[in-house]
Amino acid sequence: MTSITGHKQGSPVQPGGFWEAVARWTLSVDHKKLGMMYIGAGLVFFLIGGLEAAFMRLQLARAENTIIDPETFNQLFTMHGTTMVFLVGMPVLLGFGNFLIPLMIGARDMAFPRLNAFGFWLFIFGGALLYFSYIGSEGLYGAPGAPDVGWFAYAPLTSRTFSRGNSTDYWILGIMVSGFGSMTTAINFIATIFCMRCPGMKFMRMPMIAWMMLVVAGLVLVAVPVLTAAQTMLLLDRSLGAHFFDPETEGSAILWQHLFWFFGHPEVYILILPAFGFVSEILPVFSRKVIFGYALMVAATVGIGFIALGVWAHHMFVVGMGPELDAFFGASTFLISVPTGIKIFNWLGTMWGGRLRFATPMLFVTGFVAMFVIGGLTGIMLATVPMDWQLSDSYFVVGHFHYVLFGGTVFGIFAAIFYWFPKATGRMLDERLGKWCFWLLFIGFTLTFMPMHISGVLGMPRRIYTYEADRGFEIWNLISSIGVPVQMAGVLIFLWNVVRSLRKGEVAGDDPWDAWTLEWSTTSPPPEWNFDRIPTCTSARPLWDRKHPEDPDAHYE
Amino acid sequence: MRTTSEPIALARMSRAKVGMASLIFMESAFFAAFLVTYLYYIGKSTSGPQPIECLDRGPVLFNSACLIASSFTVVLAVRALARGAIGLFRVWLLVTVLLGFEFLAGTAIEWSGLVTAKGLTIQSNAFGTTYYSLVGFHAFHVIVGLLMLVGILVLSMFGCIDPRRDHARVDVATWYWHFVDVVWIFVFLLVYVVGRVPQGGGL
Amino acid sequence: MIDPRGREPNEAASAADVPYLRAIPRPTPWPIVTAFGCTLLFAGIVTHIFVSVVGGACAIIGLIGWFRDVFPHEAVEEIPVVGCEVPLPPPEFAAQTAGVRETRRVVPEAIHPYRSGVLGGIVGAVAMAIVACAWGLIDERSIWMPINLLAGILVPSVGDASIEQLKSFNGAWFAAAAVSHAVLSVLVGLVFVVALPMMPRRPLLAGGLIAPVLWTGIAWATLRVVNPTLEQYISWPWFLASQFAFGFSCGAIIARFNLVRLQVGQSIAQRLDLDSSGDSNGGAS
Repeated sequence: MTSITGHKQGSPVQPGGFWEAVARWTLSVDHKKLGMMYIGAGLVFFLIGGLEAAFMRLQLARAENTIIDPETFNQLFTMHGTTMVFLVGMPVLLGFGNFLIPLMIGARDMAFPRLNAFGFWLFIFGGALLYFSYIGSEGLYGAPGAPDVGWFAYAPLTSRTFSRGNSTDYWILGIMVSGFGSMTTAINFIATIFCMRCPGMKFMRMPMIAWMMLVVAGLVLVAVPVLTAAQTMLLLDRSLGAHFFDPETEGSAILWQHLFWFFGHPEVYILILPAFGFVSEILPVFSRKVIFGYALMVAATVGIGFIALGVWAHHMFVVGMGPELDAFFGASTFLISVPTGIKIFNWLGTMWGGRLRFATPMLFVTGFVAMFVIGGLTGIMLATVPMDWQLSDSYFVVGHFHYVLFGGTVFGIFAAIFYWFPKATGRMLDERLGKWCFWLLFIGFTLTFMPMHISGVLGMPRRIYTYEADRGFEIWNLISSIGVPVQMAGVLIFLWNVVRSLRKGEVAGDDPWDAWTLEWSTTSPPPEWNFDRIPTCTSARPLWDRKHPEDPDAHYE
Repeated sequence: MRTTSEPIALARMSRAKVGMASLIFMESAFFAAFLVTYLYYIGKSTSGPQPIECLDRGPVLFNSACLIASSFTVVLAVRALARGAIGLFRVWLLVTVLLGFEFLAGTAIEWSGLVTAKGLTIQSNAFGTTYYSLVGFHAFHVIVGLLMLVGILVLSMFGCIDPRRDHARVDVATWYWHFVDVVWIFVFLLVYVVGRVPQGGGL
Repeated sequence: MIDPRGREPNEAASAADVPYLRAIPRPTPWPIVTAFGCTLLFAGIVTHIFVSVVGGACAIIGLIGWFRDVFPHEAVEEIPVVGCEVPLPPPEFAAQTAGVRETRRVVPEAIHPYRSGVLGGIVGAVAMAIVACAWGLIDERSIWMPINLLAGILVPSVGDASIEQLKSFNGAWFAAAAVSHAVLSVLVGLVFVVALPMMPRRPLLAGGLIAPVLWTGIAWATLRVVNPTLEQYISWPWFLASQFAFGFSCGAIIARFNLVRLQVGQSIAQRLDLDSSGDSNGGAS
């Protein structure tokens, strides 16, 4: 079948105590270990960011609640947003890229293994620096406090006049340091995908994830440096008294918005494209069909990458840019729905007529497609300028982007964890607990975020720490808050599932899903050198070709 | 069986070259943000020293010529290395490093003149803010590039550079120096040609 | 790009130049030291200059150690795996067999010919127009009423018209209504060409009943945005009847044509019809 020659276990096998284990992981430059550490650290931050959100929902459950004071609330939504975007989304997705790309393209490691470790540790230390602000900074009134300027840190709220102390500096530096990590990782991805493919792995034979990660890496290289530049300017403003963003002294607050969103919108695609990749890998395997329209899928991905760079100001319709710019950015945003729609239809076309197996990864993937379509449609509503004027900065926007980032990215991440966990650890995650996890998350997610659309249309602004009783917001906020414990139950079941399966999960074997990409041709977990012999690729589904020499894809290219 | 005659097509492109190209691409995005910001603030300063009073093109043209020339000398150095002429390589590399230091010294002299004679600091006005940050970050990149070149020079003095083995690596390292040069051309055009306007003379 | 089946062996790719073939990079502390130093360097800005100094020192030490890891040769651990320098040879494939496997199936596998969609669209358009005009004559006493209302999709001024204007002939409005009716009908006919073969069981039922009901529902929900004038005067039973007229006649026409096999997902040999898999090549009845 997969013709694996039994490798000789020549590597130093893993004995020793606690400190040896620590050294083995911290000193490692192995892309698989780094990838798993990325994902693990990202999940820890996911729990922290989730707790922050839970506190906010607790405060908002009733009108005129006083559990949390306004200053703490500001810190909570700032840290929640910053954590989820920079310390959960990016690292988990880059971690999957790290783990999967070399295995999928048949390489022994990333192009620059040490740079890879460097990028990971920058992310960890950057995140630690950001959270150190809780105890180390001089916040408001001189007491320590986390940043409280919102995750997009609009000027002039970030100027020294309005943001006393140095919590905002912590925000700048923590994000900047972890941003350096993302950039080095992006360079690594590009070099790996260009230079390390195995024989026969042409560009048009690469797994979709490799394509998605290539586009993501390109977006990181364009977008993140702009954020770094903007944050540098802000730091100069705050520490040396420069005048970039302070409107009182010739600066321009709008310029910050342009620079930030020039990063911020591509960032959204950085967060969603890898999830698209997970779906494009998992859906065909569980539909037992070739992915529908591979070439079109690639074209749509690259198209999204380019269009994503030209839509940023749709976050700024209410700033007053004038009708020409509004129309341009509205139209470019509509344009991006074309390649996205192509992807959705290609996924449906893949499922159509297939033999569907609804294992947990497939459940999350179908949940992804459905929820992402809803998030995409509300996105089109918000791209309509007059609609945006009405709904901007309301809970409708909060509901919209949580449908995209939670229903989209997080569901994609869970699908990927359930799908590749056997490859990374050699053991299966429990199916029954997995289904509980999915349904609890799905129901809790819908309970929490669907009502936000309604409270937003009713006029509830985002980032308020409480609201008056007679506005009609109460029932919707209560439902939103009720969803939180449901989601927490789902996450707890997931954690229990991981802990339990690591010890006594069913042994997976090399290829538990009967899949077609190269990572399943090696052992589970893979040896440090990935493949005993570098595989040779004959089509977009190299493992299918090895399993079915009587009907290989190679005949159809 | 074609096992042994099978091409080992693992290293199709040089990892170092692709990596350096990506790094340069990333740095370009960083500078683009600063260049656009500079462009945005041209002529917006309502008080304080103005560009036309402060910016003197004479010395800057000489500095720029030195920096541009260093790009050519570094190419000569790499060619010498490719031929195996390690002595010539050291000479041209030394010339490059000296030209780079001249550029930095010129910038330092210009800045001290601006601060003391014209009273322009980063706090003065939007012009001061954008001027010092843009030119300063370019100078910072020149320093990084110079450190790389000096490192190579020192290694070659100790005989650690093997022309055949290291030629490609040195070549890739010099790409960064060329990048720093090209950025300076954009900075020069923006700051000393387009942006040299009197008060209120925006675009 | 080098094809594995290409003839030329790669020049001079000796194993030592390509260490990944049989070696993996050795674990090293220097990246983490460098990263820690860089972070401290920045953290000094918000704490104390001393932190930056320590960080800078750490970063420099880390960078030097890192450099010594990769220069002059990369520090590697040898992997004692036999024969790993050689890529796995590509598998030997059997000769081409007939038929598209299920795993590559594209749905729909066969569609009605496109001209049947155009024809069905035209016929459906006529049937729909007859029902609509009947509504105008019977309920509103004017054959021009439905035509003028339809023009409201394209011509905004219809919205300001009085009821008398709506009931009398207007050349521009008639042209707008005729053009949009024809274009939309043909487009829907083309959709039917692809959609009908994908319907489970009886296609005519889907095309004639389900699609019109669905479409009427969508129109009911959205019409006030798309065409407010029409929404104001519309009679929903008649609207549904006209949709049925279109669906049945269009579907009936299209169903008279045989299916044509699509060539997506077939191998080149099959596209050139080198093997006789027995499928009809379609054509008019």
